[in-house]
Amino acid sequence: MMDRYTKLQMAGIYFAITIFLIFILLPFFEMFMTSLRPLEHLFRSPYQFWSDDFSFDAYSQMWVTVPLLGRYILNSIFIATSVTAITMVFVIPAAYAYARLDFPFKSASLAIFLGVNMFTGAVLLIPLYRVLRTLGLLNTYWAMIVPGVAFLIPTGIWLLRSYLEKIPRELEEAAYVDGASRMYTLRRVVLPLAVPGLIVVGVAVFIGAYAQQFLFAITFNQQRELQPLPAGLYEFIGYQSVTWNEMMAAALVGVLPVMVIFLFLQKYLVAGLTAGAVKE
Amino acid sequence: MATLDLKAINKSFGTAKVLHDIDLAIQDREFVVFVGPSGCGKSTLLRIIAGLEEATSGKIVIDGQDVSTAHPVDRGISMVFQSYALYPHLTVFENIAFPLRVQKLQPTELNARVAKAAEILQLSDKLKLKPGQLSGGQRQRVAIGRSIVRNPKVFLFDEPLSNLDAALRGDMRVELSQLHRELDATMVYVTHDQVEAMTMADRIVVLNGGKVEQFGTPMELYHHPATKFVASFIGQPNMNLVPGTIKEMTPDGPVVALAGGHTMTIPVEATTAHVGSKVEVGIRPEDVDLGTDGLEVSIRVLERLGGASITYGSIGDGTAFRASLSGNAPVREGETVHLTVDPAACHVFDADGRVLRRQAAPGLVA
Repeated sequence: MMDRYTKLQMAGIYFAITIFLIFILLPFFEMFMTSLRPLEHLFRSPYQFWSDDFSFDAYSQMWVTVPLLGRYILNSIFIATSVTAITMVFVIPAAYAYARLDFPFKSASLAIFLGVNMFTGAVLLIPLYRVLRTLGLLNTYWAMIVPGVAFLIPTGIWLLRSYLEKIPRELEEAAYVDGASRMYTLRRVVLPLAVPGLIVVGVAVFIGAYAQQFLFAITFNQQRELQPLPAGLYEFIGYQSVTWNEMMAAALVGVLPVMVIFLFLQKYLVAGLTAGAVKE
Repeated sequence: MATLDLKAINKSFGTAKVLHDIDLAIQDREFVVFVGPSGCGKSTLLRIIAGLEEATSGKIVIDGQDVSTAHPVDRGISMVFQSYALYPHLTVFENIAFPLRVQKLQPTELNARVAKAAEILQLSDKLKLKPGQLSGGQRQRVAIGRSIVRNPKVFLFDEPLSNLDAALRGDMRVELSQLHRELDATMVYVTHDQVEAMTMADRIVVLNGGKVEQFGTPMELYHHPATKFVASFIGQPNMNLVPGTIKEMTPDGPVVALAGGHTMTIPVEATTAHVGSKVEVGIRPEDVDLGTDGLEVSIRVLERLGGASITYGSIGDGTAFRASLSGNAPVREGETVHLTVDPAACHVFDADGRVLRRQAAPGLVA
């Protein structure tokens, strides 16, 4: 351990953390406050932080305003889950190959994977649209799943590869000497030991899939029944008015599943993301 | 069981050549130890035998069959790794059963084989535990168990005791020797610890810089080291090497003037040396005795071990000199004493480090 901090330093550290947290959490807080207010009070001037008429009405009203809201939330979870599952199917063997095998263009292809991550989906929307149209996948769940998988594989490979590299090579050599094939070793030895790493990658991919749905949904899908929550929130924008309070309530409810996952798995996430950073 | 022959094995990593023309013939049921300093290539050689590395050139023959390119299982070898390489998520039973599961052996046969291995290694009551719940010695036994269930022809051990503490290492040494006798198997064992080599081996291969310095029984290596390297590597404490010059040749051997002023006639065959040659005289610390004449040694540090007293000091010209004296030898730190040396117990090495053959060597212990 380095030297203990002085009281003054501790105060400084906590001050910085507080500023940072306020910056990050204020939007969520404001969302919550907005969702509690009656619509007409939102535009009250001067701004009133505390009102007497807080209520949870928006949380029940939103299901009426947008009848498909429940469907949208389920769609979101379904799409993110599918993206995660398919991504893992590709990422696990690829990450293992990058961690253990030697093949031509290994580092070059790894760099290309990283390069793919530098493009946002937006840059590739038009080419992707053409590809999906040619394949006849527009206006299906696949239109939102396939691009999602493609954009998340590189991150997955990079994350899982560094985790797999930490598994002692001798374990695999022992399995090899005992006659186990690569796939058998992967299944019986490597993957069981990589469970914490798989959880990290799975959660990271799930969150990524949850966050990136919006763009693909509004461009590649016209079917209301298939829309995920971020696209569905648009329906709170009416011809006459925007029911902001209900929209905020729906957004919070939609974010809830991800929040819950985060809370349960955060100890794995923190351990996993810093894994390999320090030589043990 | 099986013989193991290595024929002209060479190995390079890129431009670095780590093994040079290794030729060894290991007999059936022999316990052979590869010993040498770190980086001498002993582990690489073992990994080549195992099939984990490919030799750049050369052949590996097990039981008369060329297995140079065969899979480890087809070679009939099994290996125990330095870190044990136990699967932490599997129970002791599953760890030992792993090679049999790979073979898809029938459950009854599998259970019987694992039970037998567990019995030999006294692990029968530990089968349900995970490796993390075992002590170091028990983990080592599980690793050995995994290697014996398959009934391999040749067992390979890669520094298996180096992670254990000193006391346990002594016990495991005895257990391994016993296991060798029980299994009646050919075993190749890699270590950097010359005590392990001396105590367990039928024959020892001393490796240095990727070359075989000498291949022989422990007593051969001790009494007839072929080179200066072997002489100084085998024996504890290390052999003293005192520089000297050959003054004259007599029928009894060359007369050598040692640094520090002492002169001895040493009974060796001076075939590669002549009068005036610079030589080094090897004197084992245990071959000297307190006396009234002989080498004059000033003692810097004295270690009393009870049974023996080890002194560290130097002779006249500053050459370091170790001596192993009796437990209650009347010496003190800072003192200068005379140590007598029996010329017949001395080894002489020429300028290239090769030994001059001893005439009056002690009888070899079988």
